[in-house]
Amino acid sequence: MAARRPTAIGVLPFPVLVMIAPSLLLAAFVILYPVWEILRLSVHEISRFGLVRGFVGWDNFTGVLADPSFRASLWRTLIWTGAVVGGTVLVSVPTAVILNLDFAGRGLARALVMLPWSVSLSMASIVWLWSFNADYGLINTILQSLGLIARGVPWMARPETAFPIEIAIGVIVSIPFTTTILLGGLASIPGDIYEAARIDGAGPLRQFRALTLPLLRNFINIAVVLNIIHVFNSFPIIWIMTQGGPDDGTHILITYLYDLAFRLGKPGPAAAISLIMLAILFAFTFLYLRLQPKDAS
Amino acid sequence: MTRFKRITHLAAAAALSLASMAAAARADTVRITVSFYSAATGPYFEKMAAAFTAANPGHEVKIEVVNWPSLLQKLQTDIAGNANPDISIIGTRWLLDFVRDDLVEPLDGHMSADFRNRFIGTFLKPAEIKGKVYGLPIAASARALYYNKAMLTAAGMPDGPKTWDDVAAAAEKIKAAGGNGFGLMAKGTEVDVYWYYALWTHGGQVIGPDGKAAFNTPAGVKSLAMYKSFLDRGLTEPGPTDYTREDLQNQFKQGRLGMVITAPFLINQINKEVPNLQYGIAPVPTGTNAATYAVTDSVVMFKNSKVKDTAWKFLDFLFSAGPRIEFTKSEGFLPTTKAEAADPYFTGNERLQTFVNLLPNAQFAPTITGWEDTAKAVTNALQSVYLGTATPEAALKKAEDIANQALGK
Repeated sequence: MAARRPTAIGVLPFPVLVMIAPSLLLAAFVILYPVWEILRLSVHEISRFGLVRGFVGWDNFTGVLADPSFRASLWRTLIWTGAVVGGTVLVSVPTAVILNLDFAGRGLARALVMLPWSVSLSMASIVWLWSFNADYGLINTILQSLGLIARGVPWMARPETAFPIEIAIGVIVSIPFTTTILLGGLASIPGDIYEAARIDGAGPLRQFRALTLPLLRNFINIAVVLNIIHVFNSFPIIWIMTQGGPDDGTHILITYLYDLAFRLGKPGPAAAISLIMLAILFAFTFLYLRLQPKDAS
Repeated sequence: MTRFKRITHLAAAAALSLASMAAAARADTVRITVSFYSAATGPYFEKMAAAFTAANPGHEVKIEVVNWPSLLQKLQTDIAGNANPDISIIGTRWLLDFVRDDLVEPLDGHMSADFRNRFIGTFLKPAEIKGKVYGLPIAASARALYYNKAMLTAAGMPDGPKTWDDVAAAAEKIKAAGGNGFGLMAKGTEVDVYWYYALWTHGGQVIGPDGKAAFNTPAGVKSLAMYKSFLDRGLTEPGPTDYTREDLQNQFKQGRLGMVITAPFLINQINKEVPNLQYGIAPVPTGTNAATYAVTDSVVMFKNSKVKDTAWKFLDFLFSAGPRIEFTKSEGFLPTTKAEAADPYFTGNERLQTFVNLLPNAQFAPTITGWEDTAKAVTNALQSVYLGTATPEAALKKAEDIANQALGK
């Protein structure tokens, strides 16, 4: 990438600029128009149906920032993103390493790991919600037949049980994508360096720590950044399983925003939250990429 | 060369389509959005649309069925995108938002005295704002207590509980026999309403005459403490914050729940799914007085509709005796027109009559701004009490503050 940087728009020959202008304008429109709309919404009082009632300046932002539910949701969003992304990477790295080994049935195992990817997130959430149903859920049935619990546990009744379950489901559905990226990374590592390491007497653990992990670092970075962006904005799991409840105890920013915009009919404050989220996400990603050492080789 | 050719082709095609549009100008297409009440809703409206087209050749009615929980959001985005239907079913309690934004048409101009006289007066009222009627009550329901005959007979109350003390006493016996006594609903929509039954029957109010939140009173605290004590004594299902209305209705159908307060449409569901279930319906238990919740859904006409006359014609047809009786019967609602109420199906239906008899004491959700915020604040308060993270006093105080802010008081 760095080598191509000199060919920025400023030095492009004029005809080229003319030729790419239409698509550039289209892209700008597609990206900038919604941002402009949200900016407009965020500084006005807007009715449920989009009617502008008046300019309110920063009121939507100050109102949102003063709202204890917003602050609780913000904090929970950080926990949610950290736990889901962290958990996903922790599970995906060994999964990818194992799937990269040569063993009988590897194709089948890879297919099985990838399979959840093909199920829509909403469908998966509904199935999980049923699995955790207090009266006839699979989880309670299994635990009861193992004699671990006497009667069905209402898992979704309390935020303390519901939220960790939602995080676990978030991890499960993020594994296929992450594993795919990491498998791509593993495929790019030449096999002979392991051979050399073996000759030098490095055991499997040493090989993993000294070779695999450093060479995989760029791919892990990509996986982390993409997952952060995706998980931070992930809506279906929490909305379908608990709708942010009970007592707003499982809201993350995106579900809280939806609640405000569509249940309570307040597009203005909701737009303010989405701008705050955009800023956080930018900062997050920028910071993370900045913290990574440059010499990946 | 080729470009010129293409342009002429385009022009020809445009002219053609304009011509065909002109030819069809007198045939109106009315778009109506209806909510999914049951599997019978879509087919019913398709049938009515076909009957309407048969009677009014050339006119067409297009039906869109939307799930209740996403209906308001769907209309919200449709309206923002200027793609809303001509008429739609809405929750009557949302009406004020539509009227405030000048989106819906006052219907008085369309209504003849004869048309107005078709309705049972009580049900036309909730959709009236500043003396104008904006919605026609298409569906009405009230709430009563369903009880499992076998369980309540074993508890010594074969006719169901009369008071909240009866509920507690019966639930104790059901609990001892290994069942869930009283269903406490604390997830999803209407969590707030489920507590209003207790609030109202203890003499409390949700919103006072001054438009302020009025639920944080001794009656409010007492009724909430009562629900909490039911929960603590194991008289309800464990973990009510995991139970929606549908979950409780399912438990009731399976004969695992002794008592639950819900709407008349459960009768139809039981008839279809568990016809052998022995159950009765009693009024909402009383504390100091009797009360229930009544709710209507309304059909509104949008101001920007270009086919208002035909749309009204369709509504006139929908609210005639035949279509009304068929709709209310198949969905299990209460009659909103006099013709339905006089039909033998309703007069001879003891179970439905229990609901009808409750109407004089029924409370409707008020059409005020801030009702949804109040509902949410109260719901959060109830959930925090059921979860044991707040006392009834503290939770109601907090909800009162939030509600008053939303109510602009």
